[in-house]
Amino acid sequence: MEKNKREHRLREVNCPTGLNWSNLKAELKAVWESYIKDWRIEFAYPVSFVRQLISPLVFLLPFLLYGIALVGGRYSPNLEQLVGTGDVVTFIFTGYMLMGFIGTAVWAMGFSIRRERWFGTLEAIYVTPSSRLGQVLGMALHSTVHQAFGTIIQFIVIYLTFGLGLKIEGILPALAIFALMMLALYGFGIVISALGLILKEGWVVSDVLYSIMMILSPVAYPLVVLPNVAQQASALFPTAPALIGMRAFLIENYSAEAFGNVFLHLLALGAAWILFGILVFRLTDGYVRKRGMLKKF
Amino acid sequence: MTKSAYQQPLLRSNLFVVWNEIIKNTKTMLAYPTIIVFWAIFPIFWFIPFILQGQAFVGGLESANFAQITGSGEYVPFIVIGAILNSYVNTLLYGVGENIRKEAYQGTLDYVLAAPCNKAYVLIGKAISESLSSTIFAISQLTISVLLFGMTITLGVMVPVFFITILLILGLYGMSLLMAAFSLMYKQSYDLSETIGYIFYIFAPVRYPVESLPTWAQIIGKFIPLTYALIIVRSIMLLGTDLSAVYLEVITLLIVDVILLLVGFYLFNWIEKKTRKSGIISHH
Amino acid sequence: MVAEKEGEEFSIQTVNLTKRFTKKRHRGFFGFLRKNQSNHKHNGVTVALDKLNLSIRPGELFGLLGPNGSGKTTTIKCLSTILIPDGGTAIVNGFDSQKETAMVRASLGMVVGGERTLYWKLTARDNLTYFASLYKMPKKDAKKRIEELLELMQLADRADERLEDYSTGMRQKIAIARALLHDPPILLLDEPTLGLDPGFARQIRSQIRELSENQGKTVLLTTHYMDEADQLCDRVAFINRGKIVAVDTPNRLKAMVKEKELVEVAVYRPPADIEKHIHSLLPDAEVVKLIRGDEDKGNPSRIKIIGGTAEEHIETVIDALRQKNVRIGSLNVGVPTLEDVFIKLTGAKLTEGGA
Repeated sequence: MEKNKREHRLREVNCPTGLNWSNLKAELKAVWESYIKDWRIEFAYPVSFVRQLISPLVFLLPFLLYGIALVGGRYSPNLEQLVGTGDVVTFIFTGYMLMGFIGTAVWAMGFSIRRERWFGTLEAIYVTPSSRLGQVLGMALHSTVHQAFGTIIQFIVIYLTFGLGLKIEGILPALAIFALMMLALYGFGIVISALGLILKEGWVVSDVLYSIMMILSPVAYPLVVLPNVAQQASALFPTAPALIGMRAFLIENYSAEAFGNVFLHLLALGAAWILFGILVFRLTDGYVRKRGMLKKF
Repeated sequence: MTKSAYQQPLLRSNLFVVWNEIIKNTKTMLAYPTIIVFWAIFPIFWFIPFILQGQAFVGGLESANFAQITGSGEYVPFIVIGAILNSYVNTLLYGVGENIRKEAYQGTLDYVLAAPCNKAYVLIGKAISESLSSTIFAISQLTISVLLFGMTITLGVMVPVFFITILLILGLYGMSLLMAAFSLMYKQSYDLSETIGYIFYIFAPVRYPVESLPTWAQIIGKFIPLTYALIIVRSIMLLGTDLSAVYLEVITLLIVDVILLLVGFYLFNWIEKKTRKSGIISHH
Repeated sequence: MVAEKEGEEFSIQTVNLTKRFTKKRHRGFFGFLRKNQSNHKHNGVTVALDKLNLSIRPGELFGLLGPNGSGKTTTIKCLSTILIPDGGTAIVNGFDSQKETAMVRASLGMVVGGERTLYWKLTARDNLTYFASLYKMPKKDAKKRIEELLELMQLADRADERLEDYSTGMRQKIAIARALLHDPPILLLDEPTLGLDPGFARQIRSQIRELSENQGKTVLLTTHYMDEADQLCDRVAFINRGKIVAVDTPNRLKAMVKEKELVEVAVYRPPADIEKHIHSLLPDAEVVKLIRGDEDKGNPSRIKIIGGTAEEHIETVIDALRQKNVRIGSLNVGVPTLEDVFIKLTGAKLTEGGA
């Protein structure tokens, strides 16, 4: 039967779909509400909220204190030889402050779908016309803002306790690099969230990936310390070029390892990871719905 | 006719509870082979960045400052020992609490609490099964570390190290009883476990010598059983001493263990009675 | 049966809908060591829906009855796009569930899993606000609609309390409110009164009836409470092992065994061959079914006999039981229920797994 006749007999449904402003507006609103929802749930656990604000500082301190204990102060001649600066504290801080944002991709986004499954709300979300990716992005946004608060606390404590040698004029370009890094990390995070749907022990995958990225990213050591193969592999992830680029702008005398134009590199990585992420997510979505795996824990 | 639980000698029935708890937890763990493989191998990845950091900062495998503070400049085995002993903290502080939360989530916690046995023995069973699995994982991680980082291990070293590990575990049992008690009362006990874990991680010499911390921080470290265990094990493995050289630390560890076990046991039983009276059973 | 007219429009229509699941055996860490001779094949295929054909008219309150594992929830999930079927088609409000997924989702309101599918740490209002955004409702419309629904559910004064402080029945009401947010033409309700006390269950049923009769919504209701289906539904379909066994109005279905009276005997410790024994003495009986009860808890087993009149059967039944030394608790003569029809058609009980 023709569509017109169908519409006459059956009830019309008012729902924007497709590539148009109305649908984009509706999807963005869903992302925003997902972001608000996550904050509301977070504030329902105030002790956890406070603890998670200080945990970036807790995990930074061992790197700092260990580094200082190794060299007996905050200056390392060997580090200066490698990257032009021997300031152990500033070097580690600028590295570690980004690690929490890797956690956004790997843990927050990776666990976004699984967390909805744990709440029991995954199927209820799935039967709505909004994009599932929107949910994941809403949670990513929440985690990013959360992590930003944690980073500010890190900065304040470390600055007051140890002092930091940062160039103020480097902050804006560093933020631009940071934004490009987050774009690529979101794409990576979409891949992880898709894997979280099909793997029973998804947290294992998240932990493995986080640890690998931690090793391949020059967080607490220059990239040159890694074997050649690892250095080349690090180019596939946004954290290595982002860290090197940000340090070049923020730290005096920092001689960046050769990574070409960091902005172009990150743009290319961002586009690649986002496209790849969307592809994997779509494929996994179909796979999970075919196998009836939405409810499985 | 078989005797009912009430008719069996008390010690025997309590040990029976412990044994069955171990069997149940072990069978549950064996249902997740991926997780077993993960814990046997993967924690090594968590301390590799520290080793690479050491190479970048000192340009070799020995730190002069470490040698000055601790007597040994070898930071690689220093890190490995800290990581492996700290893994017991992770499994016993988080693992037992996590086990209880799983029981609550599955709906079995109420039935366990309603059982006539002393619940502390259920917890001891959980703690022992976590320790057993931790020990297997620790041996696996140590073996890989020996192969990867060229550490030397002899039987003469491992016997006293094993003894100190048992003492550490006993102290952690006391802490896990305390955590379990709070799990019954408060919904956000997970955060308490994590916070205690943070305190251990920063104030115990997991990644750095305790002497490199300010004095006030060293005082806090003195209340943590892990501090003594790490000092003793590193003395034995890195400096080649025996237990007699660190007898003060061994005795202090024993005293801390006894205090934690007694306080933990008493508090757990008291809070368990209180929660049954008030009807608060924590659920996540 | 009410015949479908050619060219008739349906709110929901499935044609040869098929769904298979592959069962994977979890063997654990040492599973490879286990040698179990009887289980060489560790994986199996379960056919959850076996070329299911269903047609539901606009505005109909349609019941889908079947025991656990018969395919009711799988049907709901295929219609709601949570599951992709392996064969056949499902058309919902004129949209193909596999090709026009977003429009199907916009056409449906679903209550599956009930209270556990909400965020307990959020208030009722916050839950509804969030889901309204997922249904792409404009903010102003969503706000107005949420207030209307909270009034309808008589929860307006508790709208800003967290769901963890609500009772089960109240949470179920919010789950229903969520299904109604975007005023969908079709509602899928999967056991909506399961676990509720009689008072709340009655309220929910009354609301369901109102939605269908006064608002013209198409409602597909799955349940294994036969009374609920009998009271509420315009038509009922029996589903067993993924297939529709019968579809008709409750009265016409009961009429399949209506001329026959039901004799129900409560017995204790009946032997396994009692059904065969009674059948041999009453060859004309349409149904002779033993339903085992938990006799240790004081729930006797029951034997149901349907066929002919009670007067013809009672003496024979009593004699048959005495021959087998079965203790009789009580004897009732009644009118067949939908469950009896189901038993007649499938041999299984509605509250068992499918036979």
